[in-house]
Amino acid sequence: MTAWNDSAGGKRVSAILKSRPFLTLAIVAAVWIVASFVSRGFGAYGHLRYLVELGAVIGLVAAGQTFVVIAGGIDLSVAAIVTVSAISLPLLSWQADTTGLVSVLAVLALTTAIGVVNGLGVALLRVHPMIMTLAMATFLQGLLIIIAGGSAVTAENPLVHWLGNARPAGIPAGIILWIAVSAIVLTVMHATPFGARIFAMGANPLAASLSGVPITSTTLAVYGISGFTAGLAGVLVLGMNGQGYVGIGDPYLLASIAAVVLGGTSILGGLGTYAGTIPGAVLLVTITALITVVNASPGWRSILFGSLILGLLLLSGREQARR
Amino acid sequence: MTTVAPLLAARGVSKAFFGNPVLRGVSIALQPGRVHALLGENGAGKSTLINLLSGALRPDGGEIEVDGRAVPRMTPVLARQAGIAVVQQELSLTASLSIAENIGLGAYPKRFGLIDYNELAARAKAACELVGLNEPLSTPVGHLALGRRQMVEIANALYRKPRVLILDEPTSSLSATETKILMDLLERLRGEGIAILYISHRLNEVMALCQHVTVLKDGTCTADRPLAGTDAAGLVRLMVGRDPGDLFPKWQPAVSTTTAITVRKFSAGLMRDVDLDIRTGEVLGIGGLVGQGQEDLLLGLYGAIPARTASATVNGVSGLPGGVPKANALGLAYVPADRKREGLHLIHPILTNMMLPAFARLPALKLRSRKAEGETGRSLAAQLAIKGDLQRPAQALSGGNQQKVALAKWMPHDPLVLLLNDPTRGVDVETKREVYLMLRAFAAAGKAVVLLSSDTPELVHLCDRVAVVREGRVAAMLERAALSEETIVSAAMGAGKQKVAA
Repeated sequence: MTAWNDSAGGKRVSAILKSRPFLTLAIVAAVWIVASFVSRGFGAYGHLRYLVELGAVIGLVAAGQTFVVIAGGIDLSVAAIVTVSAISLPLLSWQADTTGLVSVLAVLALTTAIGVVNGLGVALLRVHPMIMTLAMATFLQGLLIIIAGGSAVTAENPLVHWLGNARPAGIPAGIILWIAVSAIVLTVMHATPFGARIFAMGANPLAASLSGVPITSTTLAVYGISGFTAGLAGVLVLGMNGQGYVGIGDPYLLASIAAVVLGGTSILGGLGTYAGTIPGAVLLVTITALITVVNASPGWRSILFGSLILGLLLLSGREQARR
Repeated sequence: MTTVAPLLAARGVSKAFFGNPVLRGVSIALQPGRVHALLGENGAGKSTLINLLSGALRPDGGEIEVDGRAVPRMTPVLARQAGIAVVQQELSLTASLSIAENIGLGAYPKRFGLIDYNELAARAKAACELVGLNEPLSTPVGHLALGRRQMVEIANALYRKPRVLILDEPTSSLSATETKILMDLLERLRGEGIAILYISHRLNEVMALCQHVTVLKDGTCTADRPLAGTDAAGLVRLMVGRDPGDLFPKWQPAVSTTTAITVRKFSAGLMRDVDLDIRTGEVLGIGGLVGQGQEDLLLGLYGAIPARTASATVNGVSGLPGGVPKANALGLAYVPADRKREGLHLIHPILTNMMLPAFARLPALKLRSRKAEGETGRSLAAQLAIKGDLQRPAQALSGGNQQKVALAKWMPHDPLVLLLNDPTRGVDVETKREVYLMLRAFAAAGKAVVLLSSDTPELVHLCDRVAVVREGRVAAMLERAALSEETIVSAAMGAGKQKVAA
């Protein structure tokens, strides 16, 4: 046992076993196994696939959120941006755009721009991220009520419809989208200088700035990414839902933050990985499904979420004191 | 003397972190009316010993005694009740609170259950007068220069009227005047029967102030004896375990006539209308009392704070950089004084810290090569004698090694101008010597070094020229021939030329 632990490969294995992403993944697996005994249909391939598809929306929103949190901020406007995306897409449709690609790109450009405005407020006006993004969320919600009112809008966009319903090779398009985004996010985060800058900025912004990290442009990029992924999630949710309405994005604000924290990313910034956020997102939808299956009050879902976040934090060691 | 029970003592204490022994069977006894020096290189276990004495840590073996009685479970609260006050090396003040609030923190006088601010002000003022703090008591501590904050920290310790005063490198950020005030104060406190434990890397202070010395090396006690009859070289030998040689390297001037940086009427922060030429191949010292604007001069040149200038040329490009990334591109590098707050990412691996300037300059989305990074890191570690696994977080390193990492990260970029802000503050003798050698080698290679230092001997022995800053202006530019501790200190304090002669 000791010999195995002392070898370099053994060290790496034991480091992975002890890591938060793995811990979260293990809990997901445990919940799946237990739940499939409780309810026959829970462990069926089709159901699990459905859970991951639901997790994809949270996972996409949480991708941008992970960047923002690692960079030492927080984005409270993601839910509003999801709604903006899901409502403005049906409104931004052109006759000539037969595939629907142009309007999707236009919507993503719009949500990215909203994120960049968040970044401008944080980096240049030095507004606290919480205040800046909360103000942005409130502003957007007001605007949406004026534009869309209370009525739902239906999307006639082929690309969006495909994303929400197609199953190439039996795998839902949403999951494929999530896998692609995850690959890009993990690469950018851990294998590029840009990713390293974000970690540095979150751990110690002053030292990062004195080391030559361009703080302003990095902050703009981080919030821009968050706007982009929230916009993408909005497109997916619209496709899965068929209709967009005010409030469609609301569940994704706390879910995105919970997924990030469950995945082991430090809410103080500077430490973490999207590799933890992914199982975090799946864990969230799994628990929701479990509550539904055992027919318990939705109150239990919130109680479980809260206990899980605290429990996982205690299990993997509390945030170290920072000086 | 031996019949008096020590106020505070450690008997054969041991402490290990993660199986790594830091202290092994160390004893120390603090007698009333004695200034006891604790010497040792960084990582020798000095801070751990202080933490044991003050109850911040519990020893694995051995005992802590107060007034000759063993205290089985020493805690910071018990230590405070026993009249033990510690002035930490890392400042522990609350920046947004006022001087008075910081001094009284944790022991506010109460009246009808509320804080009695009048009483607090009176008692804080008394403590301030002891250490020569004359700033208004309501000033937020965050507005003070590092040296003044240190004085607040000392005032905070005195406020509790301690019987035992432990000072961990109190003078590392103090100016010559402030150091003098502190020395006089400690001498007076000693006369009042207080036991003082004094830690410093400045041997001349230790020789002047202390009566007894304990030397730690690698967690064991190598000397515990009266200071009388010991010389500085002997102490260094006990610390490093070999002959000290000269602290400062021998060097030949390598100044050229070309200038790396020229500024006219340069203003930034406290600095006003400064004309300065920094030549290639020289080490230009920046001296003066702490907080006269020296730091703003460096930060302004580096583009980290807004600066104005009538004209400027930086490595052949006209105009100031105006931003750190631009300054880096022009070949400037800056090593901050407060390495934990400004220089390093403590929670990140040593290797990542070393590579950060590279990450800041490389194209944002270029794929990183872990292999190349590892090689660069290993060669930097070898070059600067940084030991151990580079994947450990930087906070695992001792102060001296952290400073080396803060320096090392710029080396792959081959900077043309190195701006250093007190690079040897709180660094052990051995690391100091390595840093000095590096700086002179750097100058000899035709680069420019700007060395801001609060350590006057460093300015005298290492610099080609020294600009002495007072009240935001260069009060004197001293050439090497005119350099001495007296000329620097008198220029810093604004003493006229006749007074120096007299």
